[in-house]
Amino acid sequence: MEYILNQLVNGICQGAIYAMMAIGYSVVVGVVGMVTFTHGEVIMIGAFASYYAFEMAGNHILLGLLFSFAAAWLMGACVYKICYERFFSAPRNISMLCTIGFSMVVKNLAQIVFGPNQKPMLNIVDNKIYSLGIVQISTIQIVVVITVIVSATVLSFFFNKTRWGIKLRAVSQDKTAAYMVGINVKRTAMVGNCVGCALAGVSGMLLSIYYQTLQATMGGSLGMKAFSSSVLGGLTDIRFSALGGLCLGIIENLGITFSSASFRDIFAFIFLILMLLIRPEGFASKKGARP
Amino acid sequence: MKKLLSLLLVFSLALTLFTACSTPASSGAGSGSAAASGNIKVGVLAPLTGTNAEFGKGFEVAMTMAMEEINAAGGINGRMLELVFQDSKGDAKESSDLCRQYVDNEEIVAILGDFTSTACMADAPIVKEAEMAILSPTASNPAFTEMNDCTFGIIGKQDADSRYYARYVLQEYAGVDNVGIIYIESDWGNAAVSNFVDEAQKIGLNIVETASYVQDEKDFSSIITKMKAANLDHIAIMDQGATSQIINQIRASGWDVSLSTNGPGTSQQLIDLCGENCEGLLLTTPFFFDPESEKEMAWRDEFTSRAGFAPTVHSVNAYDCALLIAEAIRQCGDDVSRKNVRDKLAAIEFSGGLTGQIQFDETGSLDRRYIICEIVDGEYVKRAGFDYPEQVAAGK
Repeated sequence: MEYILNQLVNGICQGAIYAMMAIGYSVVVGVVGMVTFTHGEVIMIGAFASYYAFEMAGNHILLGLLFSFAAAWLMGACVYKICYERFFSAPRNISMLCTIGFSMVVKNLAQIVFGPNQKPMLNIVDNKIYSLGIVQISTIQIVVVITVIVSATVLSFFFNKTRWGIKLRAVSQDKTAAYMVGINVKRTAMVGNCVGCALAGVSGMLLSIYYQTLQATMGGSLGMKAFSSSVLGGLTDIRFSALGGLCLGIIENLGITFSSASFRDIFAFIFLILMLLIRPEGFASKKGARP
Repeated sequence: MKKLLSLLLVFSLALTLFTACSTPASSGAGSGSAAASGNIKVGVLAPLTGTNAEFGKGFEVAMTMAMEEINAAGGINGRMLELVFQDSKGDAKESSDLCRQYVDNEEIVAILGDFTSTACMADAPIVKEAEMAILSPTASNPAFTEMNDCTFGIIGKQDADSRYYARYVLQEYAGVDNVGIIYIESDWGNAAVSNFVDEAQKIGLNIVETASYVQDEKDFSSIITKMKAANLDHIAIMDQGATSQIINQIRASGWDVSLSTNGPGTSQQLIDLCGENCEGLLLTTPFFFDPESEKEMAWRDEFTSRAGFAPTVHSVNAYDCALLIAEAIRQCGDDVSRKNVRDKLAAIEFSGGLTGQIQFDETGSLDRRYIICEIVDGEYVKRAGFDYPEQVAAGK
């Protein structure tokens, strides 16, 4: 029992990071209206930004957060300018292919600029182990979960209570209608893309703190996980995407509990396929909503 | 304006394509016309990027050092040695594609590399078609050199390595009773584990838990929780690239269990990536820089200044491989054909490198001896020498 509970804690922690990536992903897809395959690379850029921030200014987690947020925001602006802006009226596959190509360019450039080796990210958080009854939780895990919850709350406030948030939601719901009521759709879509990417950057920082290492090629599989979590949540629904990420993390870890870690991705993707067979629209219950 | 720009872009793209395609062709034509007196080319497959990039970079630096030495001393029978490096990314598919390119390129007389056993085993049937030798500095899965008569490896056989690890490092030196194994699911990892388990059963070492993962795994927390639930007093880690992450995550979970590994050798990157977390880590290596030997220390300094990190046994082996292939080519005299190079390599007796006497057995591999090292204050310290098995035998 103790064993399963501890695995559950691992799963929740990993799921929280997936959730963070998925939130960013669904903001991007929701506002821009196109899928992205550069998300993994944005995560990697965020991780490296925080790494250099820690290198230069010491281990202040808020500073790292700021740096990764800003770097990923800029990256988001680049992605928007290169992959989306000109292709709004083109078929969707054009911008999708463009994001794939751009992700390859960024990944290879990163290997040249940052070097191909793994980099250490040690002791950013003064790690202690707390025992809650039979369950053990480490400071790093607490920091990760708290950062994700705080970011999600701030995002939800931003989306529901601010003028920009309302604009973003309007664009996400119907671009033409938003245009007709006087919203600058292109600019709003760019900001939405930047917000989504910035969240991915922060999750990159959390990932590298949690695993204490980062590398230029870390993005690939992570982008896939963000995409899957987001699909589980119905692609554009932020809350359900977060739930999807959490589920994916927990299912992977419980799966490993009863078998081998070699099967991690098998559990994740079997769950995804089953889920899509039973509920093709994901967790989101609104039938007939936009894809 | 836009039209002009796009035209310009198309033109420049076409130009890049043209030059990219024409470069190898033109160099090929150039050396083709002077084939007898041109450079002797040897292809190198190494993971220059990806998880094992540290080791690939080590290959590149060490082999380049060997090549420069050989050429500075007048080359091979008056001809210069030229190593052609390609990045296999540590991926077997990529490696076999590049291997095929080397085989199709008539100028390449032999191949050095790859890093992982999996990649080498993918390359083995391809080189056999061309009767061309492939000499790996690091592949230790015994099945690799047994695949055909073109495959050679100088790191020693996995069966010897893992058996030494179980018997001498864990049972004799560390006095471990109950061990848990974390290993990578690969040709190397599977061979390491099966030999380890076999030896452990013979000597009565109790294996309480084993857990594996696939390449590029990042999250080991569930494996670690699994290990914690088992009642063990030591964890053996069998991998190269992810060893540091596993150690960090074990320590981050607040567990101070004793650890050992047989994958990375004396890797500086391991210490850089783990910091204090890897204090007390035990490991085996078939080579250790002897502070008494001027030649070895000078080589180490030269390597470190070029690569930016300290060499491991893998880099040293890569250096020896380049020297070894040069010696085999030298023995061919004027008849530098792929088959001749392979035959000379199979029969070679060589001791001009850093790792001692090299002479292949009938499978194309050789027996290495091992020492035990421990990480103390961020440095590798030798704990037991090559004669440790004899000492143990004498002690009994």
